[in-house]
Amino acid sequence: MTPSSREPVFEVVWPLAPSAAAAQALAARIPDLSGKTVGELWDYLFKGEEIFPLIRRALAWRYPGIRFVEYETLGTIHGRDEAELAATLPDQLRKHGCDAVISAVGA
Amino acid sequence: MLRAAAIAERAGLPSVSIVTTPFMQQAAVVMKGVGMPGLPIAEYPGVPMTDGSDTVRAKVEALIEPIVAGLARPVATTATASVEPGPRDVVFSGTLDEVQDFFYRNLWTDGLPVIPPTIPRVERFLEFTKRSPGEVIGHLLPENRAATVWSIAVNGVMAGCRPEYMPLLVALVQAIAEPEFRVQDAGSTPGWEPLVIVSGPVVRALDLNHGQGVMRVGRQANTSLGRFLRLYLRNIAGLRIPPGAGDKGSIASTFNVALAEDEAAAAEMGWTTFGQDQGFARDDSVVTVQSVVSASPPIYTAGTRALDHVQVLAEVFGRACAYWSCTGMKYARWQPLLVIGPSIAKVIAADGWSKDDVRKYLHEHVTIPAREAEKYAWHLGSTAFSLRAQVEAGVLPPEYAASGDPDRPVPVFVKPEWIGIVVAGDPGRNQSKGYCNNHIQGGRVSKRVALTL
Repeated sequence: MTPSSREPVFEVVWPLAPSAAAAQALAARIPDLSGKTVGELWDYLFKGEEIFPLIRRALAWRYPGIRFVEYETLGTIHGRDEAELAATLPDQLRKHGCDAVISAVGA
Repeated sequence: MLRAAAIAERAGLPSVSIVTTPFMQQAAVVMKGVGMPGLPIAEYPGVPMTDGSDTVRAKVEALIEPIVAGLARPVATTATASVEPGPRDVVFSGTLDEVQDFFYRNLWTDGLPVIPPTIPRVERFLEFTKRSPGEVIGHLLPENRAATVWSIAVNGVMAGCRPEYMPLLVALVQAIAEPEFRVQDAGSTPGWEPLVIVSGPVVRALDLNHGQGVMRVGRQANTSLGRFLRLYLRNIAGLRIPPGAGDKGSIASTFNVALAEDEAAAAEMGWTTFGQDQGFARDDSVVTVQSVVSASPPIYTAGTRALDHVQVLAEVFGRACAYWSCTGMKYARWQPLLVIGPSIAKVIAADGWSKDDVRKYLHEHVTIPAREAEKYAWHLGSTAFSLRAQVEAGVLPPEYAASGDPDRPVPVFVKPEWIGIVVAGDPGRNQSKGYCNNHIQGGRVSKRVALTL
């Protein structure tokens, strides 16, 4: 359908707003997990209590000396205040000597 | 979960996140919002809650390689900063139909036609606030866009608000930007929807309905305020259902119209107003936002004594909230809301009951067998939930683990003070209605409205 030439034309603006998501670099990776400490971050959802032990066993078989800081030690990550988590989690991970983390389960 | 991984990455620790297939699109929005679109992911195929143990084991075995790769392999960070329009840039010119099509294609509408946001219309809204158009009220996750005063006006225009609603729109956005509202979780699978509750002189000033049909579309202020909030969540927080992403509401519900209290009725019976219950003065104009995940059936109650009504309110509202109460027991914050019809409130108040008396009764008389709360929590996905563990962790009071009997009754309403009460609805009928909120997600937040009417 062709619009009538008498139909008004609207000049409209963008309904979104500037993004505050500045690109950030990821941490350096660890080529070999042997002898490293992996922290488990769990949201206490979706069978993590089954999934994490399976991961532990599989990684321990592959990487001698790998150690895990189990999710019970680090506590739930779901439902915690974002700012509080950001303020406390890095210290917790350092305190337990973590070199890397596995975060699960969901989005 | 991904935000925790991002925190670890910022602290210098490599991470890998296990994300299930149905959450992958939402994950992309979250990762972009935290500035790490390349966060390593190990994708668990399918839905763990419908997988048996053998299937879980097989799928986890297949996850080991991507887990190792995520922690070990360097990730290329590709800066893809696209240039976005400025606030006053005209992004499209066209007829009304063409504007609708353009906005719909870009996922900027709720599927209904919008009022075209032209600069003159936006400026009319800005006349009703002393704030600068560029002022940032907050940043709304997961898409992490700036909630500017300008964007509030633009979306207010689109939603069909009137310019004089602008102070209320600003207060609304202030409320959802507060950490306790947890806007970042507004796209969670329960599909909760914000409910706006308006209190004080602004109710009359903006002609909000508080009477018959209060929760139905039809009154401009009630309807457009609710619609504005849903549009704002889509456009600034980035919560869009497919073909968009970010909103994972599994079935979800549509926007709620704004609720206003019949404050004259509350005053007449000597009850505090909902605004006062939130800590404001009776003559303060206040806007409150909280999540609503489901509603009770209409609750009809009859009789001349308070107990005649409160007993039935407890039964019907209590049963409507019973299964979802496990979320309140898990997260230690849960704010159900009871809308009591004016004629019913009048009988209850005349019998000497205050709102607090009603709350106390509901807390003491509505229970669920512990077994049912724990069972439903498991089905919901909280596979390690137990009431005893919650008591031991200090999240719940001892009464939740008073015995080892799995059928012991435990309170549905964890704390009486968490129950909100609003007097509204048809004064000519004996009906109330209850609303269940989504635990800590969409926590109740109130803001004073700076009226410039």
